[in-house]
Amino acid sequence: MKKTSFHIDRETRAGIGFLAPLLLCLIGLILVPVAGTIATSVFRDVPYLPKTFIGAANYVSLLNDPAFWRSLMFTLLFVLVSVPLETVFGLGIALVLNQVFAGRGMLRAAVLIPWAVPAAVSGRIFELIYNYSYGAANRMLALLHMEPANWLGSASGAFLGVVAADAWKTTPFAAIILLAGLSAIPEDLYRQARVDRAGTFQRFFRITLPLLRPVLIVTLLFRTVDALRVFDILYVLTGGGPGGATTSLSLFGYRYFSAGDFGYASAATVILFGIAFLLSLVYLKLGGFSREIR
Amino acid sequence: MKEDRLGKILTVGGAILTAVFCLAPIGVMVLTALAGRPDFLRPEVPLAWTVDHLRAVLTSEAIHFPEYLRNSLLVSAASAVVAVFLASLAAYALTRMSLPGRGALLLLILAVSMFPPVSLVGYLYRIMASIGWINTYPALILPYVAWTLPLSVWILVSYFTRIPRDLDRAGLIDGCSRLQILLKIIFPTAAPGIFATLLLAFIFAFNEFLFALMLTTDYSARTVPVGIALFQGLHGQTPWGEIMAAACLTILPVVLLALFFQRRIVQGLTRGAVKE
Repeated sequence: MKKTSFHIDRETRAGIGFLAPLLLCLIGLILVPVAGTIATSVFRDVPYLPKTFIGAANYVSLLNDPAFWRSLMFTLLFVLVSVPLETVFGLGIALVLNQVFAGRGMLRAAVLIPWAVPAAVSGRIFELIYNYSYGAANRMLALLHMEPANWLGSASGAFLGVVAADAWKTTPFAAIILLAGLSAIPEDLYRQARVDRAGTFQRFFRITLPLLRPVLIVTLLFRTVDALRVFDILYVLTGGGPGGATTSLSLFGYRYFSAGDFGYASAATVILFGIAFLLSLVYLKLGGFSREIR
Repeated sequence: MKEDRLGKILTVGGAILTAVFCLAPIGVMVLTALAGRPDFLRPEVPLAWTVDHLRAVLTSEAIHFPEYLRNSLLVSAASAVVAVFLASLAAYALTRMSLPGRGALLLLILAVSMFPPVSLVGYLYRIMASIGWINTYPALILPYVAWTLPLSVWILVSYFTRIPRDLDRAGLIDGCSRLQILLKIIFPTAAPGIFATLLLAFIFAFNEFLFALMLTTDYSARTVPVGIALFQGLHGQTPWGEIMAAACLTILPVVLLALFFQRRIVQGLTRGAVKE
């Protein structure tokens, strides 16, 4: 029964009471700081100088700052390369885990391990793996009789290096979500397709992929939002280098925050936030989620 | 059938590749922690095993590893418990009580988790500095609670919707308050879901890096991921053996949780993301 009067009934009031702590936390600890950051972005806000309103000047300086453009380009390229890579690998792992074979339970457990390791720790492990003279990566190249690579010392090597390290840590997440999607596809469909003599690839492209679409979009959304704000692995593995080649927008903003230039840092992170927001909207539109949530 | 054999080969090959992919870096970590020298992979270096790195990490006054680990465990456990309790209040209201704009609220809660942490950490730093909380546990626990709330609410909503409403009605008839119903009826019934959410919130807090980096200054509150990230040698040489020993001890709690409660964690993760 819908009530048409303005009076809020007891039930609703109790419900608001139950929600209040959550809303207070989200408002006080997330929305207020974000609003504060947006507000700070139109000020010159540096140590030892009076805080002054300068309008869009921080944004104008950012657009004229080659280092900002470089970190924007790196961030977008990182998303563009790592998200599809991790999703395709994740789908591969999920397809394997969806089969029946001896040791499947153990393999599922093994897949959870990289996901559970803190990114800062995996960053250190990969820093060691990429060590020029004794890291596992170059030892493997040596076994293949190839020249050792300067992984973290060159811009392209560092890019590949962070993509691979990030893929190790996050592919399992994609695999776990996609596996849940796969196991929700009714077995009957495949049985019927076999009767109709549809091959492995036909079954995959005609049944698996279309039915997996909503889960794929959720995975892509989560991974994209996460990859856009990549920070931990870069801070630890490359420190944003060499020469700023792997400085993401998060790292760019962090550097200015820790240098005390709050206005400039805030403006940079507002742009990052805007990009994340727009991309989320695109995904929500693609997935049609507004219809699904009742 | 030819095709079935192809499928089997793909499955076994894929399984082996997956296992190598997931476990090889862990192997490098464990071996380096136990090897006498970090360059043990070179053929000309003799292999020698040692527990010196592990012992140094656990006992050295200069490394402060036990303090980092203690901070991490306390902060993550406190954040997880508070977040899951607040989230269960909210999830109860969202699934059981007549609230206007319920769907919009759920979307809004999800949207909040899409903010890049860097876009609020600077301002949060100033708030914490102004009240003198930098380098204290609450400075980490509060943001971690807020940060894990959206995820926790989403997972718990999916568990709570499956509990029949007749249970609530029975409780109401017996004169229970809503809070009593949540604590005495819903909590026990949804215990597996609550537990899964606690595990996930704990792991997320344990692995968090940026807030901990910005809001702590030394071992009295610094968490272990930051401790390991900032771990430098005294003499210019990176002490890989000790770093990897610390890494082993750090991931031990989360990896054990992940292995023991694999099913719960996977269920929790996917409940939040996949509609069944």
